[in-house]
Amino acid sequence: MKTFIFLAVLLLVFIWYLTFSATRLDRLHHRVETSWANLDSLLQRRAAIALEIARSEIADPASAMLLTAAAYQAREAVIEKRSVAESGLSGALGLLLADGQSSARPAEASLLRELSELTDKIRIAIALHVDAVTRTQLVRNKFIFRTFRLAGTAPLPVTYEFESDVL
Amino acid sequence: MLSRSLKIGIVCPYGWDTPGGVQNHVRDLAEYLIAAGHNVSVLAPVIDESKIPTYVTSAGKPIAIPYNGAVARVLFGPIAFARVRQWIAQGDFDILHLHEPAIPSISLLACWAADGPMVGTFHAAAKRQKAIFAIGPILEPVIEKLSARIAVSEAARETLTEHLETDAVVIPNGIYADRYRDGVAQEKWQGNTLGFIGRFEEPRKGLSVLVDALPIISRFAPDVRIFIAGPGEADEVIKSIDPQLRSRFTFLGRISEQDKADFLASISLYIAPNTGGESFGIILAEALAGGATVVASDIPAFDSLLDHGRYGELFQSESSTDLAKRVIDLLRDEKRRVELGKAGKTHAQQFDWKVVADQIFSIYEMSLVGGEKVRLTSESRSWSKFLGRESKGDD
Repeated sequence: MKTFIFLAVLLLVFIWYLTFSATRLDRLHHRVETSWANLDSLLQRRAAIALEIARSEIADPASAMLLTAAAYQAREAVIEKRSVAESGLSGALGLLLADGQSSARPAEASLLRELSELTDKIRIAIALHVDAVTRTQLVRNKFIFRTFRLAGTAPLPVTYEFESDVL
Repeated sequence: MLSRSLKIGIVCPYGWDTPGGVQNHVRDLAEYLIAAGHNVSVLAPVIDESKIPTYVTSAGKPIAIPYNGAVARVLFGPIAFARVRQWIAQGDFDILHLHEPAIPSISLLACWAADGPMVGTFHAAAKRQKAIFAIGPILEPVIEKLSARIAVSEAARETLTEHLETDAVVIPNGIYADRYRDGVAQEKWQGNTLGFIGRFEEPRKGLSVLVDALPIISRFAPDVRIFIAGPGEADEVIKSIDPQLRSRFTFLGRISEQDKADFLASISLYIAPNTGGESFGIILAEALAGGATVVASDIPAFDSLLDHGRYGELFQSESSTDLAKRVIDLLRDEKRRVELGKAGKTHAQQFDWKVVADQIFSIYEMSLVGGEKVRLTSESRSWSKFLGRESKGDD
């Protein structure tokens, strides 16, 4: 009898632990989604600003072409190729801003200021997203999560590569 | 920048009416956010409930436990947990900002009980501790609920990555830089004077290092005087000083903000001989903002605050001889001393609340993207129901 009760309690605790773990993982997936939504919206805004810069006086025709192409690629990339495309846009912006800063007039100056504020935010957003993703991947790799398939059908979060090279 | 008005819940883990860096930080942040038009509620342990500002809610009386080389006044237990849950349920917050969620106090309880947008700020910088690795598996599922983590310094961030394997965004502690900007130099504090502000009785503040350095300093600068401001009993310290040098020490007690600004503008050098336990060094940032030239020990927090010596002189921590040497050099080199002070003053502007609160607020905005509110976790709700403790409005 005693062993029976003991086993029943053990089973109950185990079931509780499983639901607890499932909630935990669900929460992590949710965190990844939120941080990605945030990062995505910031990146979209950056692409829009890049297009505006391409049309403005700062950009010469050649760099305008490069910038426009990079911005469109960044906008249309699928999630797996996103970070590569965004790095391309960072590179294009970096090339232009390296020598274009001096001739900026008020309108362009405010555009550039907006871009630099946005870049600061993107840097933080990437850090938050990367942390959420690594955490989720780490937890999903644990024995209990794999054995009991606690992740269900949720896709494994994609690592976002570029971290420090945003401008 | 601070666009829409939010309902923000801030949890302070340490006793509200005991002095401390975290408490000051929470108070200043809360008041800054209120002034910016937000609706802020702070939950904190409180000793005397009659003396708290209206935005603070008491979670009960704090318990004193030894932690990280000092006595920490924290609060936990079933009653505190019930109060935390009630505060969350009634607050209807857009976001929770939890301070020090990794120490056993109400921040941790709030993190356990809540679901939704949460930001955590980590203040402490501690050496590797075995105990933390042991409790890591318990903390991990709780800490990972935070949608963003903030560390107040590189040292705090390293502590966090080492102990809990998670990264954080570094946002420094805030100061009201303009309070210290326009101090008027007072003659009584001028000359070859050294200043020290802080709870000088605590060994980790390192006053004894300065006391031991004085015999050497006074040999080269016979007219040197030392002013010590801050709360505490001076008698014990005076006994430890060589009787011949006692006349050079003046204890000012606790001084007002205005006096502090004048004090920092007057003294030749500000000395920060702390031997450890410091994560950011708020008083050092204030000294810089007041235009004082700073000589500080090379503990990690100060080293990064002063950018490896660019904005103030660093000496080998706990070495009185090195401190004496640096002080004498600077007292002799007027030009360099003034230059360091000026550079430091400009550097300190980035710690102003205007800058810091904006950075914190943009972290809030990032955590709010999901568009949900803070609520009790489902587990916590079903447990409350099970125990018949579901809070129904006011108690």
